[in-house]
Amino acid sequence: MPNIIVKGLKKAYGNKQVLKGLDFTAEQGEVIAVIGKNGAGKSTFLETLMMIRDFDEGTVNLFGKDVGSLGAKGVRELKKDLSIVLQPTNFYKNLRVKELLELFRSYYGKSADVKATIRDFELQEHLKTPFDKLSGGWKQRVALAIAFMSSPKLVILDEPTTGLDPYMRDVLWKNIIRHNKEHNGTILLSTHYMDEVERYCDKVMLIHEGQSNVFDTPANLLAKTGHTSINDFYLDRIGEKEAVR
Amino acid sequence: MTMLATQLKYDLIMFFREIFYLVFTVIVPPATYLFMGQLFGGETYGGDLSYVQFYTPSFIILITFSVVFFAFGFDQVMNRSLGIEKRISVSPVNMRTILLSNIIKSVIITSLGFMLITSIGIAVYSLKISLADFFSAYAVFILITAALLTISSAIYSFFKEMKSALVFSIVIFQVVLFTADFTVPVAQMPQFVQWIANLNPIYHINHIFIDVWNGLFVLNTETTISLAYLTLLVFVSVLLVSRRAKV
Repeated sequence: MPNIIVKGLKKAYGNKQVLKGLDFTAEQGEVIAVIGKNGAGKSTFLETLMMIRDFDEGTVNLFGKDVGSLGAKGVRELKKDLSIVLQPTNFYKNLRVKELLELFRSYYGKSADVKATIRDFELQEHLKTPFDKLSGGWKQRVALAIAFMSSPKLVILDEPTTGLDPYMRDVLWKNIIRHNKEHNGTILLSTHYMDEVERYCDKVMLIHEGQSNVFDTPANLLAKTGHTSINDFYLDRIGEKEAVR
Repeated sequence: MTMLATQLKYDLIMFFREIFYLVFTVIVPPATYLFMGQLFGGETYGGDLSYVQFYTPSFIILITFSVVFFAFGFDQVMNRSLGIEKRISVSPVNMRTILLSNIIKSVIITSLGFMLITSIGIAVYSLKISLADFFSAYAVFILITAALLTISSAIYSFFKEMKSALVFSIVIFQVVLFTADFTVPVAQMPQFVQWIANLNPIYHINHIFIDVWNGLFVLNTETTISLAYLTLLVFVSVLLVSRRAKV
């Protein structure tokens, strides 16, 4: 059964229609990139899945439950299977890494295993370091550790590797892929690094003007369009749309 | 309940690790209380009250104001602007629990301020207060804290950026310091400062609390106007907070 089924999603801010009937499906174990230029509707779509943004029309089904029909308690229950990494990554700056893990364990309850998380993400070195004193790469590593601590079925990553060197990006991605395979979850990635889309994602969805413009595997996309890279495809597609306008 | 206890524990830890909050709440007000006592300890204030009778409750209110505006209101803006609030809102936690923890934290810290100033008053200035006045003062102090928390929430709900909230906080601290009878008596200041003081809710709160602390509170025209003004402000704040929560 798919982890996510979205049908005809619409959302407007005042007179501005941001999502215009978006359809989307994500299976268990998939890593899916959501790309599109700024203002295309990516954030609104992802925030809808995070259940922190209301929508006007359509249906959003997460793990077999209709989000629109849930009350506050039901939404909180569903959020136990959801986690995110935001850009920029920020937590309480004065808390040490170990304390942040303990705090988030209290949010997620018994399902969160602090010891295993410390071991899996190799956090021992900085357990007593305040979050604010960590380097950018370490902050992202801690954010990922917290995101995966509760073994969520859905993890939404908003530009998780921005500002990191290629080595740290690779380390983080290996962590992401390994955890996702272990927990059979779904990962949604919003990124501007097209090489990451090509290298790590099973599928890619291009949101353009509030709709799912393209939704396919990177390999199929390249084969169908004849482009040599997702970056070329993206620039060509966005440029083409811009030129039409 | 476990989650609330954990959140409260870390909220308190964060407060005591934040030098900025400590300076404006736990260090500056008691130091000023001591310093001014050395300079003006022999004077009388507000009729025939001694320095310790007048300024002990005043500095309790100053600490309460600082805690509520910096460690509660400004803290909310910081968490909002840095994305911490958004990150937490995606976790399965009731945001009311986070707010409740923040309120309890503020009450604990302001109560510590209450005890700190009272202890300094007793140790350094031979402060005398009857047990009945002490307990009634503490009860009123809790009501004042609740009112300030509401007003602070309403004011800081307008801020999305940390920088503008910080500038506002520092400016408002100065305004309150000089127009609420915490330092130079407002009665000795120019007319426009007295006018500002009358609009400053902390000025009204300060005078009500001084009266309660010394067992002198009576319901007259002056105190009725002060209470009505404060009630109106709290009412408007509740409306603003409720409206913002729905957006």
